[in-house]
Amino acid sequence: MVDSPSSSEPSVSQRDGAVHVRRLRLGRLAATCLAMLLLALSAGCVTVRPSDKEFLSDPSMTFGDEGAAGAHEQHVMSNREGSMGAGSVSGGGCGCN
Amino acid sequence: MQLRSSPRASTLLLIVAAISLAAGARADGGIDLTGTLYHDSGGGLKMTVITPGLNIDGTIADALTLRAGYEADIVSGASVAVVDAPGSGVDAITGATTLNDIRHTASAGFTLHSEFAELTAGYAYGTESDYHSHGFSLSAHSELFERNTAFDISYARGFDRACALNQPRAQESVNRQRLPSSTGCFSADDRTTLHLDLSTYQGSWTQAWAPLFTTQLTLTAQILHGYQGSPYRAVWLGRSAAMENPPEDRARYAAGLGARLWLEPLHGALQLSGRVYRDTWDIKSITAEGAYEQSLSGSVRLRGRVRFYDQNAAIFFSDDYVRLPRGEYFTGDRELSSMRSMTYGLRLIYDVPPDDEGDVLGIFDGLRLVLKADLIRFDFRSFHYGRADIPNTDALMITLGLTSRF
Repeated sequence: MVDSPSSSEPSVSQRDGAVHVRRLRLGRLAATCLAMLLLALSAGCVTVRPSDKEFLSDPSMTFGDEGAAGAHEQHVMSNREGSMGAGSVSGGGCGCN
Repeated sequence: MQLRSSPRASTLLLIVAAISLAAGARADGGIDLTGTLYHDSGGGLKMTVITPGLNIDGTIADALTLRAGYEADIVSGASVAVVDAPGSGVDAITGATTLNDIRHTASAGFTLHSEFAELTAGYAYGTESDYHSHGFSLSAHSELFERNTAFDISYARGFDRACALNQPRAQESVNRQRLPSSTGCFSADDRTTLHLDLSTYQGSWTQAWAPLFTTQLTLTAQILHGYQGSPYRAVWLGRSAAMENPPEDRARYAAGLGARLWLEPLHGALQLSGRVYRDTWDIKSITAEGAYEQSLSGSVRLRGRVRFYDQNAAIFFSDDYVRLPRGEYFTGDRELSSMRSMTYGLRLIYDVPPDDEGDVLGIFDGLRLVLKADLIRFDFRSFHYGRADIPNTDALMITLGLTSRF
């Protein structure tokens, strides 16, 4: 939402309501972060042995493999659309070394 | 060209020389030459952007990689300068204003490597006749759990400056006139500078779940403060037209999930991804993409893909600010209206096979050719020039790249 200055001060109940909503949002954010952290740590239980990474090492399976071509496309699309971000990150890859 | 005589050009040359020395010392480096053409046209409106880019890097003792790059955006086209002006529509479109400009961007950076982690820092300077930008970035990458898990975090800070008309008597946004041309920008008294600060935070988690399956989760947040419109574009407000006036603050959030599945019987990879986005201008969007990449032989890969994008309008967007004003803000930017797009693309990659000694053409460790073509069809549901629909809704994007390792 776009903030617009209000001409009158909020009442006490309005302030309490805003604080409550903010706490709820923070709680939801903290719960999401905790869930993601647990999920990420659980990834440690998943083991793909280096000898089993033949297909994961194929360039088709590597994120962010587009290089400069991908950067050019992101540049164009972020100018032609109202949103941005969360594109593929290079270097993540499969960790096949 | 300002780069030619500036200290930044000397610095860039020094970095290039250092990379050359580094590459020479261990014979480990790369050169990437990539060019992209974007073109849309229709009904008197058109936009052509040619983006050539050169990137080189060199690694010293597997511990330090230096890189430098140069990129240009050569822009030409015709666009509507005053959106919804009286009698607008087809007449306004056919009388569109032409534009020509070149943006130069020089960049440099380094990466420190250890066995399981990398630290990367970079800087980029962009300049054009009406826009200057400085960008700093810092990122870290680490691999865990037998390299099945990778985490990346990055922070980027940008300082942009745009030229606008100096109008000290125009206190209200509805009285500000648009910039007629870039003549005199950053030097003449009748020009002023508008600032935009950007902070971008990103984190990603890449996970190999099985020998055939891997995923990547990416979260991005961006905080912007400053002028985020076009100083060249005005919007008709009833009695006069004024330079567009979006809010100065914007926070943008995006989350993306990608998955790749190897289909062994076909010897190809299925690539799926999705993204959700929202910001404090109340734009919400979804993106879904599906692709399939087939290895045609050991050295040729062909990928086909389809991408779908849909967004709603910014809260202050109106197709007609005379009849439906949206408070103090107004914009003529069609990318802030409700819209969707479909992209259909093909990509061909050819890795030139090495000879018996492992060299390519006798001098390279690797040589790759990339050809990429995308057709984009935009659908602007709620944006009109007067009563006329946007005519240039089909775009073509072609990329040609050559990457060598030595």
